[in-house]
Amino acid sequence: MNHDQKHQKPKTPTITLRKFVLSDVDAFMSWAADPRVTRFQRRDPYDDPADALAYITTHILPHPWYRAICINNTPVGSISVKPAAGEDQHRASIGYRLAYDYWGKGIATEALKLTIKAAFEELDHLERLEAIADVDNPASQRVLEKAGFKKEGVLRKYVRLKGESRDMVMFSFLVSDAV
Amino acid sequence: MDEKTSEVNQSRQFHEVTLREFELTDVDDYFVWASDDRVSPWWRWDTFTLKEDVLAFMEKTVLPHPWMRAICLNGRPVGAIWVTHRTAEHQCCAELGYVIASQYWGRGIATEAVNLVLGTIFGDMEGLERLEALVLVQNVGSQKVLEKAGFTKEGTLKKYLIHKGKISDMVMYSFIPADN
Repeated sequence: MNHDQKHQKPKTPTITLRKFVLSDVDAFMSWAADPRVTRFQRRDPYDDPADALAYITTHILPHPWYRAICINNTPVGSISVKPAAGEDQHRASIGYRLAYDYWGKGIATEALKLTIKAAFEELDHLERLEAIADVDNPASQRVLEKAGFKKEGVLRKYVRLKGESRDMVMFSFLVSDAV
Repeated sequence: MDEKTSEVNQSRQFHEVTLREFELTDVDDYFVWASDDRVSPWWRWDTFTLKEDVLAFMEKTVLPHPWMRAICLNGRPVGAIWVTHRTAEHQCCAELGYVIASQYWGRGIATEAVNLVLGTIFGDMEGLERLEALVLVQNVGSQKVLEKAGFTKEGTLKKYLIHKGKISDMVMYSFIPADN
């Protein structure tokens, strides 16, 4: 009997997506203040909840599609869909972040699946969802693949992350890929 | 010059590709490719029909462009090449575009122009670490130009851009300084 058979894989908790409210700031800090989570993000971890509140107010609340990933209505992460600028409204990019204690339970994959479905239903003309993951972030690459995204290639020195330009793996999920 | 020397000079095709900034007086040359139905299908712009419109386009877009050059053959513009920085988020990256008048296709001019750009752009643009180019899947000619100039094909981005009203797959190419 191998290790996997001896230890049953824990079930993914039920997750829901909802819009953020200002009172979510403390929950928000549980991932936004954590350097393990912000490692592959452009921003540094937040120290001050006041800054987090400002971010929720100016960026999250007015955002075209930004949701809290919730367990029992408590946010444990966030996921957002950002339509491309200009003419290419058929295209949008997904980003997500999860509090460290909730990693490895299938939550991000489930949040992505819910988001894919909602995005294609709610965003007019959407045909392509894309996501990029740092080449040194295999966990995120696996999450995207499990959610049904297809790897398209490695874009070299594609984005600047904390002063260094990084190679990123580009993934897409097309409206025709939807099950 | 005796007859023999002048014959030799005429048969040796003088073929020098240079880049320089555009001036409004280039409008007649610009109009040649801007009005060419063989060229515009590969680009998002519609074929220009009026020279005044090309002049307006040059005033509004070409002359103020942060990095755009006339591709000159023996001193005369036969096309254009440009490098456009991405947004504030992606300062390390810029996109390459170029157009050549159709009567000059197939003569290696685009490849030379791209090579000239590669020689200077990383010095010219502070912080630039990636030059990319997106090419329609069916634009095999342009893919060959980029490959000859040393660009790396990174993959095909499906349904990436809207081109002439149609959502199109684009091939992504890049060149980074380490490729030299």
